[in-house]
Amino acid sequence: MVHLMSFEKCVRCGSCIKFCPLFTAREDEKFTPRAKTYILQVWDLLEDDEELAKEFRRLVFQCTMCGRCEEVCSSDVDLLHIYHEQRSKALKTAPQEFEYLEALKKSLAESKNIYGLDQEDRAVYWIDELIDEIPDIEDRVYEPGKTAEVVVFLGCLMSFRSSQMDVVRSLFRTLERIGTDYLVLGADEFCCGHPLYLAGDDEGAELLRSHNREVMQAAQAKTVITGCPGCLIQLKNYHNLEGIEVLHDTQYFDRELGRPPTLDDSEEFAYHDPCELHRIMGVKTEPRSVMRKVGVNFREMDLSCCGGGGLVRMTDPDLSDKIAEVRRQKEHLGDTTVVTCCPSCREQFLSVGIETRDIVEMIDEAYQKEEE
Amino acid sequence: MKIRDVVIGANASIFYRLDFKKIKGAYYPKTEEDVDEVLARARESRLGVTVKGGGSGLSGACTGGNAERFIISTLLMNRILTINEHEGYVDVQPGASPDDINEILEPRGYKFYVAPSSRDIATVGGILNTDGGGNDTWVNGTMRDNTIRAKMTLYDGRKIVVDHKGVRSNDGALENELNRLGFTLNDVASSHGTLGFITELRVAIRPLTELEVVGAVAHFDDATELGQTLTKMIAAKSPIKYGEALVEAHPDIREDLQLPLLILQFPEDYTDDLRTITDFTMLQPDEVERMKEIRIKLPKRNPREGIQLALFEGYGIHDQSLLKMQESVDRINELLISHDYKPFAKYGHAPSKWYVGSNEPAYGMVMHSREIKPEGKSGHEVLKAILDIVDLCDEIGMTPKPEHKWPYGDRIKRARLEKIREVVGQGFNDFIFCDDCGEMLGSMV
Ligand SMILES: Cc1cc2nc3c(=O)[nH]c(=O)nc-3n(C[C@H](O)[C@H](O)[C@H](O)COP(=O)(O)OP(=O)(O)OC[C@H]3O[C@@H](n4cnc5c(N)ncnc54)[C@H](O)[C@@H]3O)c2cc1C
Ligand code: SF4
Ligand code: SF4
Repeated sequence: MVHLMSFEKCVRCGSCIKFCPLFTAREDEKFTPRAKTYILQVWDLLEDDEELAKEFRRLVFQCTMCGRCEEVCSSDVDLLHIYHEQRSKALKTAPQEFEYLEALKKSLAESKNIYGLDQEDRAVYWIDELIDEIPDIEDRVYEPGKTAEVVVFLGCLMSFRSSQMDVVRSLFRTLERIGTDYLVLGADEFCCGHPLYLAGDDEGAELLRSHNREVMQAAQAKTVITGCPGCLIQLKNYHNLEGIEVLHDTQYFDRELGRPPTLDDSEEFAYHDPCELHRIMGVKTEPRSVMRKVGVNFREMDLSCCGGGGLVRMTDPDLSDKIAEVRRQKEHLGDTTVVTCCPSCREQFLSVGIETRDIVEMIDEAYQKEEE
Repeated sequence: MKIRDVVIGANASIFYRLDFKKIKGAYYPKTEEDVDEVLARARESRLGVTVKGGGSGLSGACTGGNAERFIISTLLMNRILTINEHEGYVDVQPGASPDDINEILEPRGYKFYVAPSSRDIATVGGILNTDGGGNDTWVNGTMRDNTIRAKMTLYDGRKIVVDHKGVRSNDGALENELNRLGFTLNDVASSHGTLGFITELRVAIRPLTELEVVGAVAHFDDATELGQTLTKMIAAKSPIKYGEALVEAHPDIREDLQLPLLILQFPEDYTDDLRTITDFTMLQPDEVERMKEIRIKLPKRNPREGIQLALFEGYGIHDQSLLKMQESVDRINELLISHDYKPFAKYGHAPSKWYVGSNEPAYGMVMHSREIKPEGKSGHEVLKAILDIVDLCDEIGMTPKPEHKWPYGDRIKRARLEKIREVVGQGFNDFIFCDDCGEMLGSMV
């Protein structure tokens, strides 16, 4: 009941407008958070207009779900919840308008990953790449009966994308170095359900989660770590992993690294804090702490979205590119490399030609330099 | 209908349920030339025009009522054009907010001293049109006091530049006629978008003073004691740099505060003099910040159950109504309750300065009020409550909604605007002058 009324709490003050990356990119009030709550507030005056209703259904998917509006709002408007609810409603009301999401849903239903690739291949690409360096890596892949203290939940992007290979390599090398007792779920890892959650399909997401829950319990994991903030949201908030600690990899490394070697490098990086990590999951200090420990020289970027969240890369790729482009210009990224800790943000920056590194790569590099 | 044409109606006032079919176009110009183009299109289509800044105004004037019209947003006209520290001004486009301006100025050691609580979104064009100001109007004045000149485009496309002395224009006849009328920035201040489109402003800036101030809180037994203290501060011309009164607040948002109270910042060497006016407790800087934070969020907070609204946003309490402030507050509350509104919060800048319709300054407290919205009231019932408040204000000597927020009730200002519009022409926000303006607003609640 409270949630249903939440949009009514908006006093239409406008404080959220200028923070919204959509407004900056599209320069039209239509894309602002206030516009969405306003439409809901005056819906009774509009509901006969089918064309407008259709436009609104599209509009609720033109949002990166970065949560910045909710953060600045002093009127307790639960904006992310409103968008989630409206997305769900839109999908149910007019599934035919979201055929592009159907392909995603189909992949997830059939192959349990967002790419529709054979699920058995989930631990194939990166094992091929890493086997020479970490000969025992295959033993780290979960099979029924195997158990470990730590389970690494790689997520779809890190499992399948070649652009994430260096991060995966750095992650495993670092875990090996510090002697973590870990398993990676391999073919038994299903998508965490985040894309379906963002699409408003809670039932579909729950089917995936329940499988993951069973496997992690069978592996007797005490801790699950992931490098993907989207997976973190799902694992921590929706998987009901009772008795299992869920951490972002930067949180885990901040705790476990002790005194790592430091990079002796004067290059200045720009740190992009992933919205889902710092704003939604509240993980703010650990990524910075790890960077300081390994001596990364970084400046802070504005705490705004890269443009890749909320499925916008799929629902409105032009908008997504525009957000990243606006940021590149505003933040004078030029030749600067962006350091971050989210595979999705990395993909987004890479897609518009911005160099990126993951924090885990920086840790690995510090060790490598020492080893050399 | 397109969503673009609907959401241009979004604004912070209670007048937000528009007849969207009558919005014939929503525009986002970036330059004066873009504005010229939209105005030409409006003339061709014989449509009126409403200018909208941040839409944070509480009078409903940025909606343009319910007439067929174009709405032109200034949100993309937000560039800072010139910074002249030496002569103490910046030229800005009308859609820049005080925060936008100060973000650029503060690293250079300068500041634009107009700070409404809505300074993150309110635009300088909107603030001049409502003659807004923050809790420092007492020392820094309202927007008109901080504006050096404004460039305006009239409905027929003619251009004028208005300052505190008069008008300049390429059109000699127009210039003469407006100067004969004594047209100055005083007329543009609080004109609620009825005269023309402000396309550029020159606003005053001053060095960022690092004046050491100390913070304090004064508690009072009731609002009358608060009002009498404010009266003494006004008479003594107290150098209060920040003054905010919290008069009452619903338990859901009151936290641990004992009300009424006055949050103050003043130069350290004024401490002893201030003690001759009121007792107070000194605050540490972090305590002052916490109280300021509570204050700035008050207009936006909601009760645990139900929703708040600003039925009648600002009561200008001065002279007798200030000296008997508790009585004034009680009368307001009685009236609110008789219309089924539960008082939620009363707070505001104090001591404060504002201007009345004759352009005379008034001093006292601009008390904002928020109420818990009752279920099932029709727009006309809500408007009736507002009009009853206007009458009450007349009766007990408050400025009903300090006129910068309430053009519809200020006869002197309205008559003056009508006279000027005989020269500059109509076309901008004509609805304010219609006989059925009240009816129209009632339908939009
Ligand atoms: C949370 C909150 C706190 C507030 N606190 C304060 C406060 O402390 N002090 C205060 O004074 N007010 C305050 N207000 C009220 C409001 O912010 C002011 O009235 C502000 O000046 C409005 O600016 P705007 O840009 O939002 O204008 P809008 O609301 O968009 O428009 C206001 C009027 O200006 C006209 N207008 C706007 N731009 C132009 C232009 N370029 N040319 C011609 N006409 C134009 C519009 O037509 C309309 O009549 C507050 C409001 C809110 C919601
Ligand atoms: S900040 Fe909150 S209350 Fe203000 S317009 Fe945005 S959603 Fe509404
Ligand atoms: S979640 Fe982010 S992108 Fe979406 S409306 Fe809010 S600020 Fe804009």
